Amino acid sequence: MAASAIFILDLKGKVLICRNYMGNVNINEIDNFMPIMMKREEDADLSPVVIHGSTHFLWIKHSNLYLVAITKKNTNAALVYSFLYKLVEVFTEYFKSLEEESIRDNFVTVYELMDEVMDFGFPQTTDSKILLEYITQRGHKLEVGAPRPPATVTNAVSWRSEGIKYRKNEVFMDVIESVNLLVSATGSVLRSEILGCIKLKVVLSGMPELRLGLNDKVLFEITGREKSKSVELEDVKFHQCVRLSRFENDRTISFIPPDGESELMSYRLNTTVKPLIWIESVIEKFSHSRVEIKVKARSQFKSRSTANNVSILVPVPSDADSPKFKTTTGQAKWVPEKSAVEWNIKSFPGGKEFMMRAHFGLPSVESDVLEAKRPITVKFEIPYFTVSGIQVRYLKIIAKSGYQALPWVRYITQSGDYQLRTN
Amino acid sequence: MPYFGSEETVKELKRALSNPNVQADRLRYKNYITKVIRYMTQGLDVSALFMDMVKASAKVDIVQKKLVYLYMCTYASDKPDLALLAINTFRKDCADPNPMVRGLALRNMCNFRMPGMTEYIEQPIVAGLRDKASYVRRVAVLGCAKMHSLQPNTEIDGIIVNELYALLRDPDPVVVVNCLRALEEILKDEGGVVINKPIAHHLLNRMKDLDSWAQSEVLTFLLRYHPRSDDELFDVLSLLHAFLQSAHAHVAVATLRLFLHLASAHPAVQADALLCTSAPLLATCGAASRELRFTGLCHVQQVMRSQPGLFGTHYKCFFCGYSEPTYIKFRKMEILVELVNDENVALVLEELRSYCTDVSPELAQAAIAAIGRIARTYSEKCLDILTGLLALKQDHITSAVIQTFRDLVWFCPQSTAAVCQTVEACVDSPQDSEGKQTLLWLLGEHGEQISSAPYVMEGYIDGLKTELSSAVKMELLTTAVKTFLCRPAETQDMLGRLLHYCIEEESDVCVRDRALLYYRLLQRGVEETRKVVTGPKSDPSMSVLTGRQEEPISQWASTFNTLGLLSGRDLCLQTAVISAADQPSNSTGKELLPDVTLSSPNDTEEEISLSLGPPLSHETFEKMWLDLEILHRQTLGSPRPRTAPDTLQAALQLVKIQTLAFTPGDTVLWKAYIYTRSTGTLILAELLQGDPQAPGSDESLVVSVKQQPVNQHAIRGFASILKSVLQTLNVDSS
Repeated sequence: MAASAIFILDLKGKVLICRNYMGNVNINEIDNFMPIMMKREEDADLSPVVIHGSTHFLWIKHSNLYLVAITKKNTNAALVYSFLYKLVEVFTEYFKSLEEESIRDNFVTVYELMDEVMDFGFPQTTDSKILLEYITQRGHKLEVGAPRPPATVTNAVSWRSEGIKYRKNEVFMDVIESVNLLVSATGSVLRSEILGCIKLKVVLSGMPELRLGLNDKVLFEITGREKSKSVELEDVKFHQCVRLSRFENDRTISFIPPDGESELMSYRLNTTVKPLIWIESVIEKFSHSRVEIKVKARSQFKSRSTANNVSILVPVPSDADSPKFKTTTGQAKWVPEKSAVEWNIKSFPGGKEFMMRAHFGLPSVESDVLEAKRPITVKFEIPYFTVSGIQVRYLKIIAKSGYQALPWVRYITQSGDYQLRTN
Repeated sequence: MPYFGSEETVKELKRALSNPNVQADRLRYKNYITKVIRYMTQGLDVSALFMDMVKASAKVDIVQKKLVYLYMCTYASDKPDLALLAINTFRKDCADPNPMVRGLALRNMCNFRMPGMTEYIEQPIVAGLRDKASYVRRVAVLGCAKMHSLQPNTEIDGIIVNELYALLRDPDPVVVVNCLRALEEILKDEGGVVINKPIAHHLLNRMKDLDSWAQSEVLTFLLRYHPRSDDELFDVLSLLHAFLQSAHAHVAVATLRLFLHLASAHPAVQADALLCTSAPLLATCGAASRELRFTGLCHVQQVMRSQPGLFGTHYKCFFCGYSEPTYIKFRKMEILVELVNDENVALVLEELRSYCTDVSPELAQAAIAAIGRIARTYSEKCLDILTGLLALKQDHITSAVIQTFRDLVWFCPQSTAAVCQTVEACVDSPQDSEGKQTLLWLLGEHGEQISSAPYVMEGYIDGLKTELSSAVKMELLTTAVKTFLCRPAETQDMLGRLLHYCIEEESDVCVRDRALLYYRLLQRGVEETRKVVTGPKSDPSMSVLTGRQEEPISQWASTFNTLGLLSGRDLCLQTAVISAADQPSNSTGKELLPDVTLSSPNDTEEEISLSLGPPLSHETFEKMWLDLEILHRQTLGSPRPRTAPDTLQAALQLVKIQTLAFTPGDTVLWKAYIYTRSTGTLILAELLQGDPQAPGSDESLVVSVKQQPVNQHAIRGFASILKSVLQTLNVDSS
């Protein structure tokens, strides 16, 4: 990939951190970046690749920072972006939140990390777990044993160190499904997809071998259990620890897990499910006087499940004022900085319907600025429930030392990009 | 405050660092070093502290070491003599029992970018290659590449190259990939690292141990390997098959590229690979990060050039989200236009219709243009939508709709009647000059079908005094003449007024010239005018009827998964410039010739087409000019045209000849340098007037042509085109 240099800039384009990996670009090239960006922004012609002469800037923005990679080669762009995002991930792991302040406060660690993750423009060790083993935020004294490169840096199993020991051996498994939904203003579902992932928190000693059984449709067909309830998974992706060849052969998911938290697999389902929370809205705008909003929310899942922390964000004109609300349940409040009404419902059982009415005043003088038609967005989570019906049938833990370990499994469904357009 | 009193700050730091009390207190010492680095990061020049920092490097704290190393690498090139003092510390650390320290020292030592470093780092690098800790080996391997980049012109060290090839078998996967990377850099001039059969198979077997970055890169290196037999090929492909659906988008795409490349003789395999990758590609298009989403969309677009049907059923994935940046929305719309078929057309149009009223005028206009593109196949539905949009009476929408109408009429003549009806009914006229021009063009071209055409035009003629854009005025002139040709009775009077105004009162020379041209044309008679003014009313190539052709995969496979794909055409040109400048004798220029060629408008005895191609830099031109022999010299028989330099340049550009430079004004020895491309050859030429050596050239221009590679046919064609252009110009200006 060969990124010649990587920069971290603040929003004004001032360099906070720079690392010139290859030495084949002038470090001052970065001064061209911001002016081009500003011009592009004015022309509404922003693009993630900025070109100046023979220098290409590939950038991403994270909170109030720009991360910019400079390259002079016709490299694999997806790789560079993935790397920049990986960098964000690593920094976030270290500093909790990645922003200007945390970069300034931790610049020593930032330099240390940037030295390890890339050398001469090539990615080296980017796994934050391994990095955390030998770059800590506390300084080390050589006498008391400076950090040695962890065994993982040399291991055959590169994602797990040897000699891990716990008193109590446990595995926590979270099956998380997030629902992306886009509904048109006329009420027809434009897009509905489920993104699932299985997350692990492993507290196990030694080098255990795990085997996971799901109600996978293909597996059930092989083993002749077609009658049982099963799920057809699409686009399954695994953590590198899963033996892909075995999965290809007999659909067994077997692996040596990484220590601590990790994402074991992800999948996608394109099936059209009934939207879990359906919103009907009427937004009536009487120019120069008022806006009246009527929102009806209906939960379309079985009544034994309950959605928690439901938050429905309904857009209102930015110049609206003096709000009045009436709800059958939950609380509604006006969020002027988002120009929206936020209707929060702590607990929303399945098969119920709730209403919210809002009334806003409008100024008599209308602004000329055309307002965008923003969608209604919904956030929620439903514990102990998966939309797809995926189930963990078993999770076997085979350890050489033969200790007993407990697997814990949780299910949760949450909203992803859940939008309903308004008129 | 780093910028104010920076000298004071540096002095203070220097005092503190050399204070024995501070040096004794480890924590305080480290704090001061951190402070130095902080100032360095903020852009303050702290290079004056170099000596003190070198001393600090002898300390044991590893974080402190890292900071000091970082400092030294930054300033080493400014203070090479002082940097040499630090070398001893580095070499000592390279022998430290802790592999972390060894690796660190070696890496930083190699990062010193100053001449003469090679002799100091060679020995530690060679030792590092055999180190028992893989951490050090990783560093040492890349160190070889760094060492080479310090002295790029020295001979390649065969021993190191062999050592690196041997290390390809290293048990540590990162060492293996670093070896490939280093060899690639070192052997750049010889075409990079050689992938033979044993290496290729070794790499293929190690693939699953590598991390995703390495996988992606190994896949790119494997592009160089050509399996000998079909059996081997299929073995390779089956090993790689699992990676087509890798969790990492960049790996999946890199695998696809390799598949397309290897299986170029097996279209069925290629199609299968595309099908396999379509799911990960679609997932990338919905990725959380917008940049990756953009990359995914660009790749989808490229795949669709060969397999337009592949994503047909997934069209809903390309509906725009509210918060997506415009560059993603634009791409999505482009894709939607391509994906339209009988089943989804209604929904896609409804979706696009909702974008037309977006607050961003750019987006709205793009959406309208997209509907216009779909209208070429589904005219009726789209025209309804477009007509509906006119009723909104928004300036930017009206203008965009009218422009869409123009394109539609041009590409799809059967819709002319409907469009004319709509334009007739449209009361609101566009306000921007682009929109005005378009409306005028429509009125002029189809005046006989729009009954109100002369009256709309009259409005413009009456408002001529307040019109600012000369382009609109010129369009108005053309429209008036065209309308006059089909409806003389209604137009004659206003045309007269228009011509009178433009000739007598207009200050813009171009407009005046245009008016004079039409005036004289009309003097020659109506038939004569008709011959000149009227052109084809629709796209003569009828591209709509044949539809967009499916391109062979090989057309784009070479740029797949590269940066060029993302930035579109610009980058192709960019790289072309670089390669042309680097190696003028290389024939790569051939592939880089753009596909747009224009055959010369004048009849030459033989058909010859010129093209502009990527621009040449002055330096490249000069170098090539000095290197090449004159192949052809000819008197052109006409003097230098007395037109403005811009006109000359524009005229030459029209026949695809690029002007590089010419002497200004009325210099006695007038010269111009021009160049062009034709069927794989580059033609350079010098135009010269008043050359005393050439006989009888006191008035006439002499052209000297150099060319690479030689193609006499092209030279003759070029000369005759040049000749006719100059003659035309001379006739015009006299």
